[in-house]
Amino acid sequence: MTRPSVLVPIRVLEGESLPEGVPDLLSNAHVVLLGYHVIPGQTAPGQARMQFEDRALDRLEEFEQALSDAGATVEHRLVFTHDAQQTLDRQIAENDCLAALVPRALADLEDVLVAVRGTVGIDRLARVVAGLFADRDIDVTLYHVTGEDETDEDVDVLLDGLTDRLADEDVDPDRIKTRIDRDVNPVDAIAELAEDYDCVVMGESDPTLSTFVFGMPADQIADRFLGPVLVVQREPSE
Amino acid sequence: MDDREVDVSTAGENIEGQQPEPEPESVTDETTTHDEGVELERTIGLVGGLAIGIGTMIGAGIFVFPGLAAKEAGPAAALSFAIGGVIALLVALPASELATAMPRSGGGYYFISRSLGTAGGAIVGLGLWLGLVFAAAFYLVGLGHYVVAVLAEVGIVLSLGPLAPHVVLGLIAGATLTALSVGGTERTAALQNIIVVVLLVILTGVLTFGILDAMGIFGRQSVPDAFFSKGYSPVLRTAALVFTSYLGFAQVATVAGEIKQPDRNLPLAMVGSVIIVTVFYAVTIFVATSTFGADRLGTFGETAMVNVGRDLLGLPGAVLILVAGLLATFSSANASILSASRSIYALSRDALLPKKASEINLKYGTPHVALAMAGGPILVLVATDSVEILAEVASFLHLVMYALICVALLVLRRRDPDWYDPDFRMPGAPVLPAIGGVASVALIAFMNGASIAIGVVIMVLSYGWYRYYADDVRLKGDI
Repeated sequence: MTRPSVLVPIRVLEGESLPEGVPDLLSNAHVVLLGYHVIPGQTAPGQARMQFEDRALDRLEEFEQALSDAGATVEHRLVFTHDAQQTLDRQIAENDCLAALVPRALADLEDVLVAVRGTVGIDRLARVVAGLFADRDIDVTLYHVTGEDETDEDVDVLLDGLTDRLADEDVDPDRIKTRIDRDVNPVDAIAELAEDYDCVVMGESDPTLSTFVFGMPADQIADRFLGPVLVVQREPSE
Repeated sequence: MDDREVDVSTAGENIEGQQPEPEPESVTDETTTHDEGVELERTIGLVGGLAIGIGTMIGAGIFVFPGLAAKEAGPAAALSFAIGGVIALLVALPASELATAMPRSGGGYYFISRSLGTAGGAIVGLGLWLGLVFAAAFYLVGLGHYVVAVLAEVGIVLSLGPLAPHVVLGLIAGATLTALSVGGTERTAALQNIIVVVLLVILTGVLTFGILDAMGIFGRQSVPDAFFSKGYSPVLRTAALVFTSYLGFAQVATVAGEIKQPDRNLPLAMVGSVIIVTVFYAVTIFVATSTFGADRLGTFGETAMVNVGRDLLGLPGAVLILVAGLLATFSSANASILSASRSIYALSRDALLPKKASEINLKYGTPHVALAMAGGPILVLVATDSVEILAEVASFLHLVMYALICVALLVLRRRDPDWYDPDFRMPGAPVLPAIGGVASVALIAFMNGASIAIGVVIMVLSYGWYRYYADDVRLKGDI
């Protein structure tokens, strides 16, 4: 089983540290630990590096140690930037990250909510879930909100297929549950349901007009759910 | 662009025992990479680069100089601007080549220190900082004139103590800009882009109307004038004066370390911004002189364009030009202050100034010491209210750098060290850069004696500072 690579971005100089429970969550991952520092346009990135590099690297090393003590393999980057989003996107692409973590504290990791949108990107979703949670005492709930143009059979095929795939990759089938809702707003439904779980795994959506207006669903969930969210990244376009 | 090794090593230490920061490991399209996985993100695209170049330049050439230039050179002032544009282009090409070979912050200073050595680097680097200070002071005096003109338009005449009102306003604007830069407003880059677009739209509109008008489409007779009404030599003197309108492209190079895809975007932004502003300047002077005749235009002083706008389009024309003039001088001054702060950073990175000078404050994340080292002297210079001296000294210090950029290119082309591998190679070397270098020096000869004296004193002091403070620092690459 190859370790799924997960980006963990930390605003390292603004007092953000590696949240409690994250090393345990990512113990089977290959972590790309990204320390970043956003500076205003008046300041050259190199100027910030001169002053803050040592301090930031010390902190990153501390986090790196905690992650590798828990079992993860880790590589770190420290980036000084004017544009956080550009930096995150670049790191995800350069390091071929399957998922990015919205780093938040969690207590004991007992159950995970996996939002399954459809067949698109399901392979990457499966690789993340299986890679992180196979052979562990963690309940995995596959959740789908049925759309207007989907039949119940479609959804069963989708979730059964994913269940089989995860079972093949050593996720205990007894620990996999499924849940399906209909006629609800997916974002609201996921956010509400998430409160009963320790962690949410969901896919990144394609940008559309509504994501432009309301923000990405993953961001909306991350705004409302207080725990960590693993956002599975889209297949990089060539 | 491939990952490229940066193979220029620095050595030595300054009088305080500080050493130049180590050079980065490599440069990619999106980052500058140091060891231990440390990266500097490149976030300025082509539009941002063009906005820095155009935004810095267009304030002076269109909104401050037309009246002054027409007074000196008559209608041939258009030729003065064209000469300036050609020289700027001859320097923008080698600067682009050097920038793609060394896309690092500091621009001209960086190229010269790495190819010609620390002494030349120090003279150019300190000169660049002070040149930008003089330029910013010049823009702020212009800004003051525009505010006074705006107030006069609505019937308010200021009287602000012993200093002239436009000087007081320039001082206030300078202090405000410096404070804003330290106080760190988000998205200043986006604001600069918007200002430049608005400016270009207003100018294109007014000038298009002006051209049609000048060609008699609207049935008015424009004032005929002999082209060289003041003779030939004022044309060159004026070219030296108005060269301040072409200093902005070098500011693109000062942020070369932050430009995305530097091999493509740096040459396009530098050469492109020079060409764009040259066209705007030439058309502006043509329209302005054909609207009023050079002699009358000359009597209007710094805000001559407001009268041109009024004559062409009535009150709305005057208001448009006033708004544009405020935006343009504001953006020029702002860009110059930020570039001056970047130059100070580049010098302090290389131990030619104390490390303290580029310190960042924790509250805003801005370089308050460097910004104060730009803003402080700017205010002193604004108080002198000597528009022409300020402009010429700014040009002088830049022209010295430009000449040395051309020399650096010739030296690097000739020795061709392994590390010198520019993605953009200028056409016409060695002839064109040689002409560019000679023309840059020649232009200095046409300046006021006072401007030349001040410029020389600054160069001598810069050299003295280097010998005193950083005699032992070696920055020159292996060539």
